[in-house]
Formats: sequence, structure tokens, C-alpha cells
Amino acid sequence: MAQTRKEYWSEVRSVYKDPKDYVLAGQGNAYVRIDAEAKVTGSAIYTDDVYLPDTWYCKLVHSPYAHAIIKSIDFTEAAKVPGVKGFLTGADFPEGHNLGNPEAFKELADKEPLCRKKVRMIGDEVAAVCATTEEAATEAALLVKVEYEPLPVLLDPFESMAVDAIPIHYPADQPGTANNLSIFTVMKAGDPDKCFAEADYTDKSFYRTQEMAHAAIEPHGAIAKYENGEYTIWTTTQGAYVSRYWIAWGLGVPESQVHLIKPMVGGGFGGKLDVFAHELCSCKFAERLGHPVKCILKRDEVFMCTRTRHPISFQIESAFTKEGKLLAKRCCHILDGGAYGGSGIAANTLSLICATFPYKVENIDMVARRPYTNHPASGAMRGYSACQVHFAHEIHMDEVANHLGIDPVELRHMNEITPYYTGPTGLEFTSCRFKECMDACADAIGWKDRWRYPKGSGEAIGFSGSGFMSGTGFPVLVTPHYCSATTIVRLNREGYAVVFTGANDIGQGCDTVMTMIVAEELGLDMNEVKCVQSDTTTTPWDAGSFGSRVTFLGGNACHHAVGDAKLKLLKHWAEEWGCKPQDIKMADHRVFLPGNPDKNISFNEACYGYEEKNFGRCVAGVGAYNHEGDKDIYVKNVGNYATAYSFSASAAKVTVDKETGAVTLDDFVFGHDCGRPLNIRAVEGQIEGSVLLGLGFTCFEECLYDKNGRHLNPSFRDYRFPTALDMPNIRTKICSDYDEEGPMGAKEAGEGSTAPVGSAIGNAINYATGLVIRELPITPEKLWRAMREHERTGKTEFGAEDLPEKFAKMPPLPKRYNV
Amino acid sequence: MAKHVIKFKLNGIDREEYVQDNLTMVDFLRKQMQLTGTKRGCEEGECGACTILLDGRAITSCTMLAVEADGHEIVTIEGLKKDGVLHPIQKEFVDKWALQCGFCTPGMIMSAVSLLHENPHPTEQEIRDGIAGNLCRCTGYVKIVEAIDAAAKIMAKEVE
Repeated sequence: MAQTRKEYWSEVRSVYKDPKDYVLAGQGNAYVRIDAEAKVTGSAIYTDDVYLPDTWYCKLVHSPYAHAIIKSIDFTEAAKVPGVKGFLTGADFPEGHNLGNPEAFKELADKEPLCRKKVRMIGDEVAAVCATTEEAATEAALLVKVEYEPLPVLLDPFESMAVDAIPIHYPADQPGTANNLSIFTVMKAGDPDKCFAEADYTDKSFYRTQEMAHAAIEPHGAIAKYENGEYTIWTTTQGAYVSRYWIAWGLGVPESQVHLIKPMVGGGFGGKLDVFAHELCSCKFAERLGHPVKCILKRDEVFMCTRTRHPISFQIESAFTKEGKLLAKRCCHILDGGAYGGSGIAANTLSLICATFPYKVENIDMVARRPYTNHPASGAMRGYSACQVHFAHEIHMDEVANHLGIDPVELRHMNEITPYYTGPTGLEFTSCRFKECMDACADAIGWKDRWRYPKGSGEAIGFSGSGFMSGTGFPVLVTPHYCSATTIVRLNREGYAVVFTGANDIGQGCDTVMTMIVAEELGLDMNEVKCVQSDTTTTPWDAGSFGSRVTFLGGNACHHAVGDAKLKLLKHWAEEWGCKPQDIKMADHRVFLPGNPDKNISFNEACYGYEEKNFGRCVAGVGAYNHEGDKDIYVKNVGNYATAYSFSASAAKVTVDKETGAVTLDDFVFGHDCGRPLNIRAVEGQIEGSVLLGLGFTCFEECLYDKNGRHLNPSFRDYRFPTALDMPNIRTKICSDYDEEGPMGAKEAGEGSTAPVGSAIGNAINYATGLVIRELPITPEKLWRAMREHERTGKTEFGAEDLPEKFAKMPPLPKRYNV
Repeated sequence: MAKHVIKFKLNGIDREEYVQDNLTMVDFLRKQMQLTGTKRGCEEGECGACTILLDGRAITSCTMLAVEADGHEIVTIEGLKKDGVLHPIQKEFVDKWALQCGFCTPGMIMSAVSLLHENPHPTEQEIRDGIAGNLCRCTGYVKIVEAIDAAAKIMAKEVE
């Protein structure tokens, strides 16, 4: 009988190195990033650094209206610019081949490569120009005359849901129900109504978070060529295979005819998951004009036309016993989806899942709505939905603690998730060191002495906890393919191995981690393992860098692949030496049976011996890993979302300047349960970057719009995020050792870590000022105004004050999907 | 639009180039000289990814015209390695994991070179001041500050 998958993998696992023998993944971590030298010398090749002979340049024509009908497009003047070679409109792409998420809900395939009849946001792409130089293309794009018929602009998600609102995509199918919903999600468990009726304490509060930009320093861009009927595209993507699928679909060609190469990517943070017009237009021009075509977005285009973090309005109700046990939660999250769906599909589900942990709550009644508006499309962003949700729910936690007279950290401990707990909607938690994370942070920041900063004194400590999925099992940009990770490892008799990984390194360092896993298992040096980066022709399928899946799923796939190769090699030598494969060790370039000096050969000899016996076939291993979940999770909203969950806690010490409202982050402690850190400096780097993102989210960053939907701050001058002068030193406390299922015991380390930062800072600001601020960002101006008003009127609660009425007046949900 | 001949030193080598008068330094380096280590992040002098050295001082090459290099000395990230050996700042960026996506790294390193040239013994605050014009979205600057501090100490020892 054929071997089952489980039997096979357990055989593979039997030849894995014992963790106590780890050299690279162990305590020393004496290895550096494989791309570090290229990056410090300027030789690393990013998309804009790919220069092909005779490259022409593409420039997009954007809508100046947030909502309008396209009446006509006239290229006459543009065509007169010397060097102009061609134009594209929506009609140059196959009709109906929209970009989005048709798998779960067909309406979510809502983005045309270039708009045909209607624009839905300022910056929407209506045409493209190609010229021999970037300058000529830019000049010509400005001369393209597009005639529009403006429509009413909807910028407030509540106004967009009004029954009489103009449809941005399609009208509500049931009269009298909420309009413009791209998706809505309901999650229910237990008997929340009974809990609320019987609880000692109930609370209802409103919060709001803002629109934030990913602001990766590398702008989006692409360069494409067309040869032998095949498109080759180098592009700034977080998911080579997923982008390839959508580019092929948008062009109307089979995936086999699109070769996507992911060069170095200069940061993603979720903003490079979607497929964009500049990628499709570069391909189309390359095919039409017979030249390579490059299109690199300008910074204002990146701000206006790519993706943003969903702004969320929250209504949160909670029920507690007087001792502080959390009995039930009701909440409603309104996510401003902007003009399109795309990677925004997961936002609703994630926002509700995040609200069900890191605290145990058995009785829930939660709804999330994602109305379309005429803002730029919202999408995935690092700490997807978790940053917003944990801001609101963790500020709420402190408010409840203070009402109940319970220490906020104590209240969290009373409700904390414990190992192997199963949540009310089916989240299956495994390893969990949440308690340890909170203890480590409280100790390091001096929580028990926090009274040395009296409330309102201008200085205070704030605390927060969070959890996140590790190894998301589901895509945020759906394709018909598996959401799996795959790796191939080839062993070479010349003394090296090659790892072909589909995992997308976008700067986080996964190429280094994959190389390390292979080197560790085979007993080779880091530079004896050659990593072939994500490229759809040479590397195997991977769903991309999102959802904290890379280390967990990609790392496991890689560990399986090297294990598969190692098992083949060791089985051969076990037969030769009359022992079991598990008895043979691989270390220091040697393959040996411990205690048998005559059974000790070099890695090269071992590979050679295998090949000789196997008709010259080299040793190769294939590994794959995926989370076996219900693929309809975005419809049903029950089930286990990920293979493991990471936990974290944050403690922030802030000083508020009462004269100016300026907030200084003096100290920050981060406690993280990330399983076994595969490289401590890589983990610290992720956490330090998370604190930057969290501080920006809390105190600095917001995309601002005028009443016509025009982005008011699409530059780094006006969209300010923390510089070296704004960042404190950060103390990272790793509070975990090993996750059973994780690759070499690891869990995610870089995404969930953004989630508790904002609320720790927010809570600290609230104690420092003696106020309760329920809306982000807490800019100096807002804080200054709040403090002045407090002095004048004694008012203590600020932000989200318009929300009670807006939530109360919200039209009902249609009877659709799973209500 | 006219073209001009400029004479200047680029990464230690005397050059004579024919450049268009509206060409920015960053585009000249990248497109005409094929030195793509200098990055275009914002093209308005805000992010610092295109930082180079003009006569030893850090400058954003997107806010400078190529013709302005006439008679001056330019050093880019490609010119830091000497005889195949990494500059101490480059070496410390590698060893301390002071980079992630790496897109800001060339500009960040050039600012650090300029800083340590002017102030060989900077305090932590002075290091932060020295790189305040270089935006990094990945690292939180912690390991960058650490690497520059370590490089300063190594370079100071080399001088002794």
C-alpha cells in the first residue's frame, strides 16, 4: 500500500537534526543576511535597476475626479510629442477580465486594468502612454484629453451605505438595505444577549482609526518584454505567482505565457500584493511595440493610486463580571474599503477574528461591513486589521479596567488565552506564551511602580497585548491555486546545495532564513547553499508574502524539501553502512555514523555515491506545506484560520509636552512569543520596524483628503512618518522557545508585532494627559486642542464623537450570504 | 534644451561627460553611468535614498543637476569599497543586520560616511541627527544607529 502523507513526513522528520545540535539556528546565530553585501555596495538589483537595451517608458493617465463617467478620450495633442509611440485604453484589455476576488464573491472582481466607462477614485487609471523616454511619456500623459461627467462623491463610509446613496459599483439588490457594501461579515457564538442581561458591568464605546499608507521607500514599478509569445515581467511584488495569475488574466493569456521575476523588493508591508495597471500596461505595450517597456510610479502616484490601510470605525460593547471576567463582546466594525476590493477581501474577517483574541471570550455577536467609497482602495497592510482592532479593543480594555478598579495588566491576565485553547469560532491555539510576554513587559517597564507618574502628570506608562495568525492558510488575493508554499532543494556533488524557493523576499530576509534551514540540515556553510529567488519559471509555487505565512509555511516547505533530499541520501548510505538513516549525521561538510571513523565521508563523496548508484540522478528533495482549512472561510467565518498563533505584549513610556501636545516615546518594551527565533537579530529587526510603524500609526500618519476626494498629502514631506529622531531605543524580550508545528520551532515574528504598539502608546498618552482619546492619529494639534478644551470645560473624552449617531442610523444589512 | 560637457571626478576616476542641462544627478548616475546603487525614492529631496557625496558632503542627488558636478568630486555607494574591501560602515551594516529591504541603505550609508567625516566621535543623538534626512520604513533605525556607532569606533581606532 502506498505510503500516506503523514507517514512520509514523519519519516522525513526522523532525519531532521536534533535542535540541541543546531549551529546556525542555535544561540549563536553567527550568520549574516545573504543579500547584505549586495545591499550595502549598491549592487543589489531592484525593479528600477533592470535596464534592458532599447527600453521605452510607460506613463499612466489618472482621473482627476473621484467619481465620474468617462465621456471621451482624445490622444491628438499627446501624439504630437516627439518620441511618443503608443497609447492604451480599457478597450485594449479583454472585457470582463477584471482584477479582484471573484472566487468568494463574484462582485469583488471589480477593477478594470484601465477604466472603461467610469472612474471611482482620484488617480484611477484611464489610459497609458508609451514613449522612447520617461520625459516624453510624462509630457504626453499630461496632454491626453479625457472628458468626464462628474458624479456625487462619497467619502464617508456611513454616507456611502445610505439607502439613497449613488452606487459606486452596483446598486443594493434589496431596497431599504445598506448600499455600496463590497462585503460584510457576521460572526456569532454562544449567547451574548443573555450575558449582557446578566453581567455586573457592561460598556459601550466608539473608536476610529485613520487611513495610513504603506510608504515603502521603493516605489511600485515594472519592466516587461515580449519574446516568443511570452511576456517576461520584473515587478515590485509580494507574491510572484499570484501577480502572475492576475497579470495573465488581465491580459487574457494563459499563465504559461507570463514569466514573472521578482527582483529585490524595497519593502512591501502589504502594499505590493495587488496587481496594478502599470504592470499590465507595461506588458501590453511590450507586446504591441516590440520593445521592453518600463513604468516606475512617482511618489505621488504611489500614495494616490496603490493601496492604503483600512480606516475603521468601531462600536464596541463588552460585558464583564465585577471581578473582571470578560463574558461577552458585541461589536460592529465599519471598514472604509475605498474604491475597490482586491486584497481588501480579508479585512472584514480578520477584523473580527482579531477581536476574539488574545482574550478568551465565548459569547460574541460581531459584524463587519466594508462599504465602497471614493477613497483610494484599501488593502492589506502589515498587521492586517489587527493594528486597528487592537488599538480600539485595547484602549477599551484599559477603560473597562479603570471603571472596574482593576489593574489593567491584571484584567488582561484574568482573561488571557492559554495554550491549546479553542476559540468560539474555531480558532485552534497551540503554543502560547502570552502570559510570559505580558510579565516580561510589565517587569521591564516597571509597571508595578507606574504610580510614580500620577495621572495627568504629562508622563505615563501604557500597556497592551495582542495575538496574530502565524502561517495564514488563506489568500488575501484569491487565485484558483492552493495557498501553499513549495520548495525544491538539490544537492550537488561539487559540495553545495541549491534551494529553489517560491517564498517572496521583500526585505524581511526570508531568502536568508531558507538558506539557513538548508545549510543547518545538511551541515554546510551558508555560502555553500545557493538560493534561487522567487521566479515563476525556475522556482516552485508559493502564494506570496502576506499573512505572516512566509517563515511558517515557506520555512516548513523548505524544511520538508531539505528533509526529503536528506532522507534519500541517508537511506542510500544506511543501506551501504548497514544502519538506520536516523543514525547518520550531517555536520561540517561530513556525512558520518558517529563512533565509526571508517563510516565518515565528505558531503561531496556522499552525493557522488548516491548518484553512482542511481544512474547519475542527483539528490533532490521537494517540500510543500499548507494549512488545511476550509477554503470558504471568508463566506462562513468559522474554522481555524492558521496553523499557529503568535502573541505579544507592549509597554510604552511617553512624555506629553502639555504646552505643545507633542508626544515623545521615551522607552518601549516588546515581549514576543514567536516560537524559536531562527535569527535573533532578524526578529529584533522586525520588532523594531513594527514599533516604527506603530508609532507612526498612533501619532504621525494620516492620508488627508479634501471634499472632492483629492489626496492632500501625497509626499514624504506632508505624509510624515518617524525619522531616526523620533524613535526610541527598543527592548525586545523573546518569551518563547519552541512551537511543535513551526519550522525548527519558529512562529511568525514580523506582522503581529505591529498590533499592540499603537494601543500601548495610546494608553500611555491617556494616562499622561488624564484624558481618553479614542481616535487616531493623536497628533500634537489634536492633543493640544483636547487639553485646552479639558481646561476650559472639564471634558475628558475625545474622538469618534460623531459615531454613536452614525451607527444608530445605519441602514440594515441585506439578507444575503450568511446572515 | 542644451547639452554641456562636464569634467568631474566620479568614485576616484576623472571623467568627462556630455550631459543634458535638465538632467538630475540621480538620473545621470543611474541612466548614463549605469550606477544604479543610488536609488530614486521620492525625487523631491525628502527620503534620502539618493544621497551621494559632493566634495565629501552628503547631498540628495535628485535635487541636484548633473551639470552642477562640473569641477567637483562625486562619490556614490559604488565608490566606497576600497581594493575589494568593504568600508567599515558597510561592514558594520552587514554584521549588525542594519538593513532589511535595503532600498534606503545606500543613501543611509552615504549620510553616515559624511557624518563620520565631519564628526568622527558622534554621540547617539548626533548619529540620529546625521541620518534624520534618510527615511527607513523597515528597521526602526535601531540597528542602523548601532552599526554607525560601531563603525565610528573602528574607524577611530584605525586613525590611531
